[in-house]
Amino acid sequence: MHSIEQTIQIAVPVRTAYNQWTQFQHFPRFMTTVREVDQIKPSLTSWTLAAGPLHGTFQAEIVEQEPDSHLVWRSLDERPGHRGRVSFTPTPDGGTALTVRMELGLNGPAGLVPGVSQAAGRVVAAELRHFKEYIEGLGQESGAWRGTIRGGRLRRAEAERNVSGVPCWPHG
Amino acid sequence: MKKAPGDEPDEDLTVTPPKKWAAGVPAVVHAMEYSLEETSARRTGTTLLTMNQVDGIDCPGCAWADPAPGHRHRNEYCENGAKHINDEATTRRIGADFFREHSVSDLAGRSDAWLNQQGRLTEPMVKRPGSDHYEPISWNDAVGLMAEELTSLDTPDEAVFYTSGRASNEAAFVLQLFARALGTNNLPDCSNLCHESSGYALHETLGTGKGTVSLHDLHHADLIFLVGQNPGSNHPRQLSALEQAKRNGARIIAVNPLPEAGLLRFKNPQKPRGVIGSGTQIADRFLRIRNGGDLALFQALNRLLLEAEDARPGEVLDHGFIDADTTGFEEFARHVRGVEWDGVLAATGLTREEIEQVRDEVLRSERVVVCWAMGLTQHKHAVPTIREIVNFLLLRGNVGRAGTGACPVRGHSNVQGDRTMGIWEQMPDSFLDALKEEFGFDPPRAHGYDSVNAIRAMREGKVRFFLGLAGNFVRATPDSTVTEEAVRRCRLTAHISTKLNRSHTVCGDTALILPALGRTEKDVQATGEQFVTVENSMSEVHTSRGRLRPASSLLLSDIAILCRLARRTLGDKPDIAWERFEADYGVIRDHIARIVPGFEDYNRRVARPGGIQLMNPVNEGVYSTGTGRALFTRNSAEAPRVPEGHLLLQTLRSHDQWNTVPYTSNDRYRGIHGSRRVVLVNPDDVRALGLSDGERVDLVSVWTDDVERRAEDFRVVPYPTARGCAAAYYPETNLLVPLDSVADHSNQPTFKSIVVRLEPARVGAPQA
Repeated sequence: MHSIEQTIQIAVPVRTAYNQWTQFQHFPRFMTTVREVDQIKPSLTSWTLAAGPLHGTFQAEIVEQEPDSHLVWRSLDERPGHRGRVSFTPTPDGGTALTVRMELGLNGPAGLVPGVSQAAGRVVAAELRHFKEYIEGLGQESGAWRGTIRGGRLRRAEAERNVSGVPCWPHG
Repeated sequence: MKKAPGDEPDEDLTVTPPKKWAAGVPAVVHAMEYSLEETSARRTGTTLLTMNQVDGIDCPGCAWADPAPGHRHRNEYCENGAKHINDEATTRRIGADFFREHSVSDLAGRSDAWLNQQGRLTEPMVKRPGSDHYEPISWNDAVGLMAEELTSLDTPDEAVFYTSGRASNEAAFVLQLFARALGTNNLPDCSNLCHESSGYALHETLGTGKGTVSLHDLHHADLIFLVGQNPGSNHPRQLSALEQAKRNGARIIAVNPLPEAGLLRFKNPQKPRGVIGSGTQIADRFLRIRNGGDLALFQALNRLLLEAEDARPGEVLDHGFIDADTTGFEEFARHVRGVEWDGVLAATGLTREEIEQVRDEVLRSERVVVCWAMGLTQHKHAVPTIREIVNFLLLRGNVGRAGTGACPVRGHSNVQGDRTMGIWEQMPDSFLDALKEEFGFDPPRAHGYDSVNAIRAMREGKVRFFLGLAGNFVRATPDSTVTEEAVRRCRLTAHISTKLNRSHTVCGDTALILPALGRTEKDVQATGEQFVTVENSMSEVHTSRGRLRPASSLLLSDIAILCRLARRTLGDKPDIAWERFEADYGVIRDHIARIVPGFEDYNRRVARPGGIQLMNPVNEGVYSTGTGRALFTRNSAEAPRVPEGHLLLQTLRSHDQWNTVPYTSNDRYRGIHGSRRVVLVNPDDVRALGLSDGERVDLVSVWTDDVERRAEDFRVVPYPTARGCAAAYYPETNLLVPLDSVADHSNQPTFKSIVVRLEPARVGAPQA
């Protein structure tokens, strides 16, 4: 297991940074290694990467998500497995410290390549810079998803648990 | 292309050992052979290469989901889908000459396969009272006859409108709107016959009638149950998803009375390893369960999980989920702890060791999906069985997370969508109120007839008008003799159809054949070329656009027929723009967008590649059960009493068959060739009953009434089905299923659970 940790200071409030981060389908607009993201359901996303040690398509489960605080994910594919956590911490000047911690299970041939985790670390650092430039440049988020996920499952407040925007009659 | 057969084929039964794998090169060969018998190479190319593609033709064969746009194969279909679509794209035609040559009584004596093979219907036909022949009629007169009958009814409830899963969302919406504007909720559908039990049980326990999984969930599950289903013949594209799951490390447990080839091994014809390699093993474990033993199996598993939790507190059950998101756990746990092993072993025919091994697999798995089909839904205790599966999933939090969930596998391409569009006899007030708001009339509130109750009503003379929107009503329903007599009591029967089937030969005083465009065909209306939309088993709503020149210039689309009928019958009361609907299906979708939750901005969103993924409430943390939580239930059932010398029969379809339409008399995976009149019986039962291999028998079903239901002249085939059970093909054996033998709660016929005895065949036996 190879670990990566990168932190970047972003000059927008935590809420703005967090909200923008939840807009996964926008990632290809500013991240050079991400080609496509599909949000299959709140806790399941599909990512197509164009370069780096995570090259290819994989699905990621969002295991934990707490608005304005953190998000924990893990890849669902066997190889190369990885998991990660992204945390949003307010800074004294009203900005955000965004920290990504990832663990890469480079147990295939990729794990034997010298310096692979350093390379992955550089990719992550570069992409965080891209995120910073994007959200600082825009100044406000392009959307927001404010749900909470615990144990891979979307949590709803009691009042919302019986309300559904879909046909709920029995389907034979 | 071959000519249509003139006579019934005269073949002999041959039996070979059942296959131990599905698909591979033979599947491609058989698909191509059948396609080229039916139509030209060019049309075959057009249908197959656009089938299940973004902006192409949605295969009417089954409701399995398509991979995401950009991830589809060039050939995104299976053997059965290829056969089915080219069965529709056939270049054979039947018109007035055919009906002059063949009387209704002549056609009524023909086999289902023969009727289907005659080709596409090309012009509207009418059978008038007293006549034994269909004769041509203009569309105007045909629609006029129906309108006249409908307006002369004593009450609109004397009309019944049946929908089959071929119908698009738009056609289904128009039909239910017309029926309700006329004043009735008599909207039976094919769901009543296939997954009604699933819908009832899931709605009650999870607050949604639909499955909760996507293809991605299957791909990433640790453990998948395939219960009472035969994916190799009925949903072959599911095998690709299962193969991918296996490659991601999943384990699969198949639970079925018959060791179907597709449950055992799959050779994917899209991959080199499937063409020249040994393929992928599908089931890691196969449980040969007795018909209907699934409730007992899942109760035993649930009891074992509770006991495992007792031994290792906090490690087995998902207490966080159970406490926060469910109700009824304590009552359920008390009940299931009392389930006795003797009863479980008798009902399942399994050993305790087999069930404990399954428990161990479950305990090793973080993510579990349960898939099922008709093998679960068509029993008296189908609803309790599916509720118990929900209990099983809830115990370890296997809903609402990636790689988990409930997966009822639906068999007809838009069966789910038709229900979403309001084809149901008991639609809730919220939907009816929305119709009232949108169209300015007050829809009837009294519940209408489902399929079984429609037959009962026809039998009692309470129905005078029957319209079938696609399908083959008399062959898809139980108790064939009773059903046919019931249908014949109608004053007018009409069928919107692409091909001939037996339902056209079981006529009311007046009968109409209304030939319609198929899915494969271009649909041009006043505003230009149209597409329709459908919803698959995984709640994805997408377009289907026909590519072929229509089989005849006289064909109308389902929607056009329904709109003309509505306009003629209702006039401008209520004031509904039927003409605009016919001219532009987008207008219908605009109404749907305002009425059906989740379809907002329908026209724009469905046009995107891949269409609309309808939200599943369970995956959004929403349980619309009234309490806002998923519900644990206490379930019990009495196993059917099978007297000494009797067997529990399930009806099933062959590999060379699509719903009620057999293409040939072969069932190559099961090793049956040349005849469909076979009954598959465990070799030990064959001996115990004093029967012999190949013996000719009649199947006689046992029921509480005095009616003798006898399916004549079947050959006994020793087959590795579970002890005490038997299997035979439908629709030939539907006559054995009593109309009143239905599932509790869902009123679904018990096609998989019929007590029968095998008597020496009367036909051909020496006269005493």
